[in-house]
Amino acid sequence: MKYESQGIAKMYFIAALGLFLGQIIFGIIMGMQYVVGDFLFPEIPFNVARMVHTNLLIIWLLFGFMGSAYYLVPEEAERELFSPILAKVMFWVFLGASVLTILGYLLVPYARLAEITMNDLLPTMGREFLEQPTITKIGIVIVALAFVYNIGMTILAGRKTVINVVLLTGIIGLAVFFLFAFYNPHNIVLDKYFWWFVIHLWVEGVWELIMASLLAYVLIKVTGVDREVIEKWLYIIVAMALISGLIGTGHHFFWIGTPDYWQWLGSIFSALEPIPFFMMTLFAFSVVNQRRRDHPNKAAVLWALGTAVMAFLGAGVWGFMHTLAPINYYTHGTQITAAHGHMAFYGAYVMVVLTMISYSMPIMRGKKAANETAQKLEIWAFWLMTLSMVGLTLILTAAGVMQVFLQRFSEDPLPFMVVQDELKNFYWAREITGIGFLSGLFLYLYSFFAKGKEVEFEEEQLD
Amino acid sequence: MTSDKLQLKRASTSALLSLLNLTILPIIGFIALLFLYQKTESNSIDRYYAALGIKTNLWAAVALILVTGSMFLVGGYNSAWTWVYVVSYFVMVHALFILFATWTLTRSWTGQKLKLSLAK
Amino acid sequence: MRDTFTKGMARNIYYGGSVFFLLVLIALTVDTVKRLPATDNRENLTEQVIAGKRIWEVNNCIGCHTLLGEGAYFAPELGNVYTRFGESTDAIKGYIMSRPVDGVPGRRSMPQFNLTEEELEAVAQFLKYVDGVKTARDWPPNIQG
Repeated sequence: MKYESQGIAKMYFIAALGLFLGQIIFGIIMGMQYVVGDFLFPEIPFNVARMVHTNLLIIWLLFGFMGSAYYLVPEEAERELFSPILAKVMFWVFLGASVLTILGYLLVPYARLAEITMNDLLPTMGREFLEQPTITKIGIVIVALAFVYNIGMTILAGRKTVINVVLLTGIIGLAVFFLFAFYNPHNIVLDKYFWWFVIHLWVEGVWELIMASLLAYVLIKVTGVDREVIEKWLYIIVAMALISGLIGTGHHFFWIGTPDYWQWLGSIFSALEPIPFFMMTLFAFSVVNQRRRDHPNKAAVLWALGTAVMAFLGAGVWGFMHTLAPINYYTHGTQITAAHGHMAFYGAYVMVVLTMISYSMPIMRGKKAANETAQKLEIWAFWLMTLSMVGLTLILTAAGVMQVFLQRFSEDPLPFMVVQDELKNFYWAREITGIGFLSGLFLYLYSFFAKGKEVEFEEEQLD
Repeated sequence: MTSDKLQLKRASTSALLSLLNLTILPIIGFIALLFLYQKTESNSIDRYYAALGIKTNLWAAVALILVTGSMFLVGGYNSAWTWVYVVSYFVMVHALFILFATWTLTRSWTGQKLKLSLAK
Repeated sequence: MRDTFTKGMARNIYYGGSVFFLLVLIALTVDTVKRLPATDNRENLTEQVIAGKRIWEVNNCIGCHTLLGEGAYFAPELGNVYTRFGESTDAIKGYIMSRPVDGVPGRRSMPQFNLTEEELEAVAQFLKYVDGVKTARDWPPNIQG
């Protein structure tokens, strides 16, 4: 660690991993509710479990992004963080707000939570992924602005690299597009249209900038490939992400009462959306092949390759599968969407944060790489989690195709709940993959505490 | 261009054509690959990649077209289960071929042969 | 990558491309918003429907159901539930009212939200209003949603 303030990342990463565990536990609960409908009913109805599952995901990824930025930016800018105190204060504000919000979901009925938090003053609750009480949303804005300010001031005063400038545009975009969460018109079509300005422009827009810059940073570190080469790749990847992704928003405007031209625009531009993810794979493969050194942190290299590949599969391939309007006509809002969502989030965002953690955590704990036993366990955990997610995605894809056929495609369409009963075996199998994933996560968390022989390497190889 | 450089160029073009044939230029990519193969000499790096590209795509044709076609033949066009198998199988296997061809392409840029192990 | 393709060119594609397509998105958004009155059923956006949307939101209905295909996939699509229930708001109200407090053993069941008569009517009217939105190709594909 070159700068002391990089160490702030550690608390962010620990919080992120704790919330990640919570997210997966609620995922398992929901998986159970898919097969045993009254599981934990009425104490934790499905909608509450889902809200906890998805909101924890968003929150812990934000913790992960912030931690990554606090680790990476001082080193890239070649100076200490502008305000370490602000970063620490905001950590506790964000953690406090998050925990209170999740407890609110679990302990009181949602309508009561809306009442307590005075949702009527500025109603923003009750829309998918934006379920947080308005007061929490305001908290998120404050934390995001303080974060942008802190990172921005550090970069302005220091060295401006392509990596930290792309990262900065990403987090500014993240903060700006979140503001659409406060716009909740009565008109349902307008509501849906601008809701996507948060959701789509986050995950298929500015988050890709964050992902690509984190990946580029770790790849420079672990491969020793020339920065010039990596920066050129980074520019072209994020260029393609926005060129395809901005108008690609149109693939969400097929069936919500918006004009017909979106069928064409959305199909064409979202068909281009796999390109940036494909380029990330090409980029990662290419620089690993041209590496100038063998970094002792093998696990981090594996995560970096893994995130590139899995993002391409989950976001690229599984997104493309149902993005063309004539296909989406049948698959929109089925288990196909769920399959894509799971693998895309895991591949692109979960894995890139774990890549950063894998690379930086040992350094923050005073060594270049974790010991041999810990790395071996981490690599096992990588495969267990990743293969479980591949299995889960394939099973949900199969379930989705069956659902589309029985409910949408067949000449004698069956009612939703009848079809769900037909899918029971798929859902059981999915629950098993979920438990596989949870075991992988436990192993991963345990790997931080494993003791063993230190890895041998030549010190002068590394910067 | 020296013959060495020309060979390396042909090697990476072959790897690229193999990838293109699997993605946006099916058949055309393969025909171009066959022409390129003819220009190469045995025991050279460009022959290696041209042959690898042809083999990859022949296997892909079997795995994707033949196997998927048989699934339709056996299961019938009008069965939900046929579609369940076809879609999950086709998407996953196709993606694996693309990933393999991508790795091959980046290997060709290094001028070395394919080597799947991460260790040097 | 080739040396003829410089980092400067890559940077220009990034900045130029993103600004251009952001402007295109803004222009298309302006156009879309102008055209919406033809399809978005705003003529039926009554006070009651507005109240219904709020009830829909504060009970987190989207946490189980889809509405025009967006939401959770645990319970049926409601964008066309008015049609599916024989164009009867009473049928919708009756269904919501009748949900058992403790659920149905072994099966999925909608929670009992204890809505008042007024709230029930509002949420039913909201669902009727959404059903009136003219979606492309009259999505969903059939009455089952």
